Amino acid sequence: MYAIAIHGGAGAVPRHALSSAREQQYRAGLETALDAGYAVLEHGGPSLDAVSAAVRVLEDDPLFNAGRGAALTRDGAAELDAAIMDGKQQRAGAVASVRHVKNPIELARRVMEKSRHVLLVGAGAEEFALEEGIVLVPNGYFRTPERQRQLESEQRGRPVSDLFPASPGTVGAVAVDQEGNLAAATSTGGMTNKRQGRVGDSPIIGAGTYAKNGVCAVSATGHGEYFIRSVAAYHICASVEYRGLTLEQAAREMLHVIIGGLGGSGGVIAVDKQGHIVMEFSTEGMLRGARDSLGRHEVAI
Amino acid sequence: MIAAATEFMKLSVPWIGDRTAAAQSSTASLWRVLAACVLTLSWAALARGADVKPVAIAIHGGAGVIDRVHMTPEREASYRAGLAAALDAGYAVLERGGSSLDAVVTAVRVMEDDPQFNAGRGAVLTHQGVAELDAAVMDGEGPRAGAVASVRHVKNPIELARLVMERSPHVLLVGDGAEEFALEQRVVLVPNSYFRTERRVRELEQTLREEQEPRKPAAPAGPGTVGAVAIDRTGNLAAATSTGGLTNKQHGRVGDSPLIGAGTYANNESCAVSGTGQGEFFIRSVVAYDICALVQYKHLPLAAAVHEVIHNKLQRLGGEGGVIAVDGAGHIAMDFNSGGMFRAVRDSRGRREVAIYR
Repeated sequence: MYAIAIHGGAGAVPRHALSSAREQQYRAGLETALDAGYAVLEHGGPSLDAVSAAVRVLEDDPLFNAGRGAALTRDGAAELDAAIMDGKQQRAGAVASVRHVKNPIELARRVMEKSRHVLLVGAGAEEFALEEGIVLVPNGYFRTPERQRQLESEQRGRPVSDLFPASPGTVGAVAVDQEGNLAAATSTGGMTNKRQGRVGDSPIIGAGTYAKNGVCAVSATGHGEYFIRSVAAYHICASVEYRGLTLEQAAREMLHVIIGGLGGSGGVIAVDKQGHIVMEFSTEGMLRGARDSLGRHEVAI
Repeated sequence: MIAAATEFMKLSVPWIGDRTAAAQSSTASLWRVLAACVLTLSWAALARGADVKPVAIAIHGGAGVIDRVHMTPEREASYRAGLAAALDAGYAVLERGGSSLDAVVTAVRVMEDDPQFNAGRGAVLTHQGVAELDAAVMDGEGPRAGAVASVRHVKNPIELARLVMERSPHVLLVGDGAEEFALEQRVVLVPNSYFRTERRVRELEQTLREEQEPRKPAAPAGPGTVGAVAIDRTGNLAAATSTGGLTNKQHGRVGDSPLIGAGTYANNESCAVSGTGQGEFFIRSVVAYDICALVQYKHLPLAAAVHEVIHNKLQRLGGEGGVIAVDGAGHIAMDFNSGGMFRAVRDSRGRREVAIYR
């Protein structure tokens, strides 16, 4: 049994505001990422490769708030965060506040595999990227006319909001491979009009991203600050491990009781060692997809 | 009489002092003061009773290889004095009825200003020879948190972490953006050289030399990362951690200290923890939060939860370090799987200790 789930952000996704052409584009983007990740699993590849592959596709798709098409900061720049975790040895790598790395998830993986560290931020992370032979791109690569319009609208005091994005947000993936190894990956541009240097939950191990073999793998999206304060991703796994909750119960409690209680909202995708997938959200919608070796194959908004 | 009554009240129950002063300045009613005096006497009696809430604070100044052979009596005495000064500063806040949040920030600030510790002034240097500082604070009520990472010009990173918590909608700000926020908050920036001490320059040079040679055992380390946890009279918990990270670290490397759940965590429902050690392992194990999750969900006593995480889980991954922790009943745990940990504890039951070795 192997399985993968992906998300492209949670928020208010009003049906009426979503043209059917747009919806088709989102679905197609999710579908491509889902299949890219699933193909890795199907060929017997590790879950780590599957989540990287899926997230990479979403980073390259300008519709999603990660990599190209990321939300813009107050200064009109893209500042990207990403993390990846391998459940096998609880290894992890993450980068935050990088401005010139085409695929932050690839750099996060290099941090995990080629450095002694887990988290590198800002110019230091880019220095490491160069040492690893990663080609940097100008910040303009990430900027799309749509994100520019959103930033301008936000700055005129008409919040499209980062928190309830009218367009998709953070992306992520979780997977279990044929050997039962779990992995999670998350990548984001953060909030529109965010302050330079603001880091959300995505690159923080335990908050937005977490994986531990035998327990679960989680990737989150939503009000990052609330997910950090709740140590959301790890809390879900700890609730499964220590309290015997089902993955579903744990995810629901996190979103509706804990994050909701603090005044936040968002969504999570999670998978356990049996390949059981949970996709929960406390927002109106969450762009998501799931596919497993038992034939489940769905994309939903 | 009024003066005597007021004085008595301040002495017996310090936190009454302010209220009495306010009452006095508004109407100065003798009756009000007398009533307050009676109340005070009963409160004072209660305070001697068993059901008064204990206050406690624990601090650390880093864990690691602490080689007794290289530790001169003078150095040891100086480290102990540094710990004691921070401990007492934090405890004084609790004793006069202040919040655990104020107490942990006060204690950490004292250690940031003390060049012996690897935080604020005296922080270790990166590969490029600069200080890059990380800090986090968490208030168990809420819970809410603030943190900064990779700042180079903020004299007291713990104060900036607190400002992030209290004056921004965010939890974590890094690098130049964090310093931009500092300036907006009228925090005065200092040149990076403020943090640099001769000793840290020597340590970096030595480490750079050793990099050329085959792996040698780690040099005897002095105090490291600093942190504090506390419980106040209202039962609120708080945790704070501040560090310069690793000697010769890569520019932009962030350890566990500023990461909520890894090196710093507090929640009134469970416990407050501050960690020190090999940060990467603490991040991967979500150490601080895991201890509190074991307390809250597996109902382990605090010391058992700390033991499980530090001696079993962390050690299995190959990580070295220690934590200080306090729970809602005022129990303190200080444990480490390394050679030693600079640490100290003080509570309202009269315990006051400063220790380095096991």
